[in-house]
Amino acid sequence: MTAVMWKPRTSRLSTIIDQPGGLSVGVAMAQARANLDNLKAESQSIVAERIARLSALQAPPADQDPVLRLNEAYEIGSAIIDAAGPFDRDDLCKAAAGLCDLIDAALPGATFDWRIVTVHAQALQLILGLPEDAEETRTEILANLHQMVARKIPAADQPAD
Amino acid sequence: MSAAEEPLRESAVFNLTGAVTMVVDDSPFSMEVTIQALQGFGIRTKHTPRSTAQAMELLKLHPVDLLFIDCEMEGSDGHGLVRWLRRSGLEPNAFVPVIMTASHVRRSKVADVRDCGANFLVTKPFSPAVVLERIIWVARDNRAFLEAADYSGPDRRCAPATPRNAGERRADMIRQISHPAESAAAASTEEPSS
Repeated sequence: MTAVMWKPRTSRLSTIIDQPGGLSVGVAMAQARANLDNLKAESQSIVAERIARLSALQAPPADQDPVLRLNEAYEIGSAIIDAAGPFDRDDLCKAAAGLCDLIDAALPGATFDWRIVTVHAQALQLILGLPEDAEETRTEILANLHQMVARKIPAADQPAD
Repeated sequence: MSAAEEPLRESAVFNLTGAVTMVVDDSPFSMEVTIQALQGFGIRTKHTPRSTAQAMELLKLHPVDLLFIDCEMEGSDGHGLVRWLRRSGLEPNAFVPVIMTASHVRRSKVADVRDCGANFLVTKPFSPAVVLERIIWVARDNRAFLEAADYSGPDRRCAPATPRNAGERRADMIRQISHPAESAAAASTEEPSS
């Protein structure tokens, strides 16, 4: 038999939030955006460095278990999302998330087509270098990457944008 | 869940300056992003451990009002920390609102993250608006805590519910089954003999 204890609970946070003073949502959002703007340049250089690391990653030798190298690629992809996420770079995040999805879906023991990593690294490099108004090219690159993900993981077939 | 589910009004006022906040993240840049966003909301981050081990030590010593934990850290998982905390018996930290952040969650980890006892998972990319919405949501979250063999944390049902204190459900089922039979028997005895 499973016993379930039910404990009504009020957090201290719920009391603090209603204390006098504080600030409005509008002011808070403006302040947060201003604070994050100061980190934008650093974000861009971190993203560029991580994409370069991904591009430099070599396919594992045939006689080696690819898991370690794949994990490394996965972690770089995840780190790109981490650094680009809060700065409205949905394009970079989508491309990196596609790579993470594909690596995550790789079956243990099965051969992983390393070209997937290479193509994603090249695409990320391209997207990073695009001018802001190159919307058409950006959409095309993301659509191509999405097609690859949809082909490899049919369950993940959702719209690219 | 009442007001917590409504979109935030620009003019709505909140005060979180007194909240003791901890951010657990092994990436210095991600940590800085979270700290800066929180600072914009008037929240000063007091504790910034870079690993789950450091976080555990701090949580044993200092009461915390709000906890941000990165899902995947090198060598340790954020959901393991939440699971430990919920079972720790630390008062009041075992019940602290926990918001987890993740850039990508592996399929094999989805269940772990869902069942670890966190109040919310925010997936990246996230905007300051999403973070603030979630903070206010967890602050207004009045779900009770459940403690069972395989789960300890806020009730995962978001719809308001009350515990079933009065009677067992089995008794209800027996009553439902027996009621038509009893009614039929009563009806047959009441039938006038012809």
